[in-house]
Amino acid sequence: MTQPNNAQSENAPTSARAPWRLAILLAVAAAASGILLTGISAWFLGAVALAGLGPAALSFNFHMPAAFVRLFALTKTLGKYGERVVGHRAALLDQVKRRAALLAAMAQAPSTRAAGWQLGHQDRLSDYIDDVEDVDYARLRVAIPALVLIAGTGVLTVVTAWLTPLALLPIVVAVGAVLLTLRLSMRDLAARGATARSTQRNGGRLLGAALASAVPLKAGDDWSTALGTAFVQFERAESERLAQRKTFAVLDMLAGLAGPLAAIGVLVAAWHTGERGTGLLIAAFLAFAWLALAEAAQGMSRIVVGHIREKAARDGLSTWTATPAHDAEPTGSPLALQTLMLTQVPHQSPDGRKLGEPLTLALHAGKATVLTGASGTGKTTLLKQIAGWIVDEHHGRYTGNGVVLLGPCRRAASHLCLHDAAILSDTVRENLFAPEASDAQCWDALAAVEMQERIATAGGLDAWISQDTLSLGEAQRLNLARAWLSTAPLLLLDEPTEHLDGAQASRILARLLSQMADRIVIYSSHHADAADDTARIALGA
Amino acid sequence: MQTIAGDNSDRDAPRQLIEPAQSAKAEPTSPSPHTTAYKLARRLGAQALRMTLFLQSLRMVCRLGFAAALAVFAGEMIESGVFSWPAFAGALAGLILSSGTGYYADTQTARAEATLIGALRQRLETSLAAMPAARLATRPAGALIAGLQRHPPALAGLTISHAATQIMLALAPLAAAAAIAVVSWQAAITLLLAIPVMIGFFILLGSVVRDRARAQEVAFGRLAAQFADRIRALPTILANHALTHEHDKIERRMADYANSTMGVLKPAFLNAGIIDFFAALSIAVLAVFLGLGHLGLVHIPGFTGLMLWQSLFILIIAADFFTPFRRYAEQYHLKAEGEAAAKELDWYFAAADTANGPARFVPAGLDNFDPASLPRNGLIAISGPSGAGKSTMLRILGGIDAPLPTLPALTQIRHPIVRTGYDWISTGIYVPAGTLADAIGWRLGNPSPVAICAVAERVGLLNDNLLPGGLAARISDGGDNLSGGQRMRIGIARMLLSDRVVLADEPTAKLDPATARLVRDALEEAAKQRLVIVATHDDALIKAADRNVILRLATQDRAAA
Repeated sequence: MTQPNNAQSENAPTSARAPWRLAILLAVAAAASGILLTGISAWFLGAVALAGLGPAALSFNFHMPAAFVRLFALTKTLGKYGERVVGHRAALLDQVKRRAALLAAMAQAPSTRAAGWQLGHQDRLSDYIDDVEDVDYARLRVAIPALVLIAGTGVLTVVTAWLTPLALLPIVVAVGAVLLTLRLSMRDLAARGATARSTQRNGGRLLGAALASAVPLKAGDDWSTALGTAFVQFERAESERLAQRKTFAVLDMLAGLAGPLAAIGVLVAAWHTGERGTGLLIAAFLAFAWLALAEAAQGMSRIVVGHIREKAARDGLSTWTATPAHDAEPTGSPLALQTLMLTQVPHQSPDGRKLGEPLTLALHAGKATVLTGASGTGKTTLLKQIAGWIVDEHHGRYTGNGVVLLGPCRRAASHLCLHDAAILSDTVRENLFAPEASDAQCWDALAAVEMQERIATAGGLDAWISQDTLSLGEAQRLNLARAWLSTAPLLLLDEPTEHLDGAQASRILARLLSQMADRIVIYSSHHADAADDTARIALGA
Repeated sequence: MQTIAGDNSDRDAPRQLIEPAQSAKAEPTSPSPHTTAYKLARRLGAQALRMTLFLQSLRMVCRLGFAAALAVFAGEMIESGVFSWPAFAGALAGLILSSGTGYYADTQTARAEATLIGALRQRLETSLAAMPAARLATRPAGALIAGLQRHPPALAGLTISHAATQIMLALAPLAAAAAIAVVSWQAAITLLLAIPVMIGFFILLGSVVRDRARAQEVAFGRLAAQFADRIRALPTILANHALTHEHDKIERRMADYANSTMGVLKPAFLNAGIIDFFAALSIAVLAVFLGLGHLGLVHIPGFTGLMLWQSLFILIIAADFFTPFRRYAEQYHLKAEGEAAAKELDWYFAAADTANGPARFVPAGLDNFDPASLPRNGLIAISGPSGAGKSTMLRILGGIDAPLPTLPALTQIRHPIVRTGYDWISTGIYVPAGTLADAIGWRLGNPSPVAICAVAERVGLLNDNLLPGGLAARISDGGDNLSGGQRMRIGIARMLLSDRVVLADEPTAKLDPATARLVRDALEEAAKQRLVIVATHDDALIKAADRNVILRLATQDRAAA
């Protein structure tokens, strides 16, 4: 099997440059037109008002500025629309590439194969998707508006310095105040954001622990206390967010002051330098341009919010992908295994605590092995160790047909049937993960797990299913159908009979074991009763 | 392709289907915001909303004042060559006042939303506190937590920010038009005329957007959350060696979905484009008309004979006239998210109508189970096939689940036990993070360290080499690092520290034989001093019981009758 991408692809250029350039161009054109429209309108009104007072009224070239007004009005509208369309298209294109790369990178992360997939839980998954979206749209929400705002302020400041340098005083004060506030509060804002995130997550964890023990907690009248401790965390997160929003209000206020102050400043400065009448028209142009820029500055806090969220999101995502990647699995068809010897394999818990003496055992094709033991005795962990999902090359040796098999080899050779396997939102056929299997083979597999009728009435192999449309028992049976279709020489089934009732469980298990009769099969069960012709390994706590 | 509708044939498995949430999302019909949660939020936030509106209106008035003063200042300066100090002062004052009220309006909105979120969460907490365990179990914990984290802020955004914007959408343009009307009512009329035209476009475009969105939902709806779905299912994909296949498929589907999304976005952006267009057009038209008026070349009523400051005033306010429309359009997502959140929150607030678990069991042997006189001590075993309601009955006895109306006798049984308090023992007991000593002494009113040490020794937790550290052994959040056996031992240790009635739910299931024996012995021992009721299918425990209550499946009963 080849890996579609490796972790480095995250750093590879995933964005299409041309559409982004166009989007920036359109954004700048729209903003410039907006500023020029207001400016030229004011200049025009002043000019005609002065001309109208005297005989110049008749000779005034009316058409030129009027044409400019119309041109800017159109450019502003079209530019804005174009910016939105082009920008979103670019963002969506990037999104597809980024997310595909992210999926590949996350598949490489060891945490994916470790115990308890955090992103299998809705609350953590929602946070994660938020992070992904914050990064996806960062350019659109942060980079482009910030660029336009900075460019607009820069150009108008230069023009002001040239025409009415005195007016720089209020501008420098106002812009300086904005920048100073940003500088002073940025760290605090980011810290509050991080605290809000972690407290909210902490509250979610506490609530999760309480929900897992809801009945015992209710029995002891401690349910509401336990809820209280979780909700206090949510409340703390909210107060951090409120503090953030108060700072944003200050920022918006200062940013909103800058443009109008500049406008007044420009007029006063021009007057002060002795300009009168038509001499003031250029100043009026500039003053109203500043007023128009103030409109763009109203989104100041949104840009800052977007920036902070993007940073936090990148940090959040890197925790999933920053860990060193697994080795790629060897390609080519896996060897046919007859025996698998485990020598001194650590008996451990999911978090690596030692649960007992190291295990040494022999597994043979043709005779299934059942792992028994109470919950918490390391059955799942042992299966994952054998499957090469938990790899410790220094402790324990795995010998298949006399050859030492390292983690990647075992991963390639095994089919691990997880007890909490997920159902994809996809068709039944895709959910069977057997692209090479014929329809007949798929139906055989479904019949073996007694899902044939259920799927047939639902619309056959092309019926769309999801986690929510199947009950736990049905999901488990479909999961077993995947194992049925697997051609791997080493089959590892974790609690295959979970969520199934007794008689049906034994029927399905018997069929599965006979289907896999020529291969090495190990399955775990917390029931002591197992099929007769199986070897039994009991894991004690 | 068809979708499989839920068939929940598995009896014993706790159903993990998200019924209300999923059906709410799947419905393509336009959402009705009048849900319980929405009404509650409206009521709780009504006063704060009024305050927000007041401050926003105040900001609007100050802003109009600033515009007027600035127009007079610039106009007088250019046209009359006069530096108008009152206008200058007025402009500065208007600017500072409008910024100040703007700041207050923003912080007030933020505070109002935070308060509303707090109030909503408080109600949710109360509602959850009273929610029966059976109903809690109908939702996956993750979905429940995510809902509590996300929905209250979304609903608060809808009821404060969005509601304020919606009302200002009606007020602000009228106020702007009124201000312009003071200078030139004809100009005001010109602007107001733009509204019906704009609304006409909105309706036209709105239907296009809705049609396209519906078409997208039909054609691509299933591709909407494929990335999230694959991330959720990543371990399964890896276990089935399907990464390459899924990666390529997902990339293709995401690209398809992105394309179809653009199809919806384009007309949606036209909506915003129309506002921009009218804003730009009206400025252009007004500027040209006012210019012609100033030149005196053409006589247009309302546009001729104006002072420069009046024209400038119209120009500035005309831009403000369209701002509320733009703001409202920008907040579209607030509305959609808030309404979806309100709908989902209804689940949390819904009365416990369907809350009681399966009422299928028929208790037999209740005749020697006199509700009025439960024995002071002894071991009572509740047994029967799985699904017969052993745990349900134990929960009713403990007052955790509401008594079933079909079983009036039980309503009386639970009182003596609930009143005096009891120890609940199961593998699911709550274990706080901290040390082993904390876990054992939890909610037992500070038992002495000596006592804790003694009971820990008795249940074999002191010298458990799988939990090294003795009483100081670290226990992680929710007791994640404990095995079922260790948890059960902690439960027994707690029982040994108290002298209350014991209710034990399947205390020996899924345990290794040694721990199971220890638990059995401890329960039998305790039964000499106090009442111990166990729900179990452990034969050894049933044999040791002084009394047996055997439950049967309702269907079996009917078949027998």
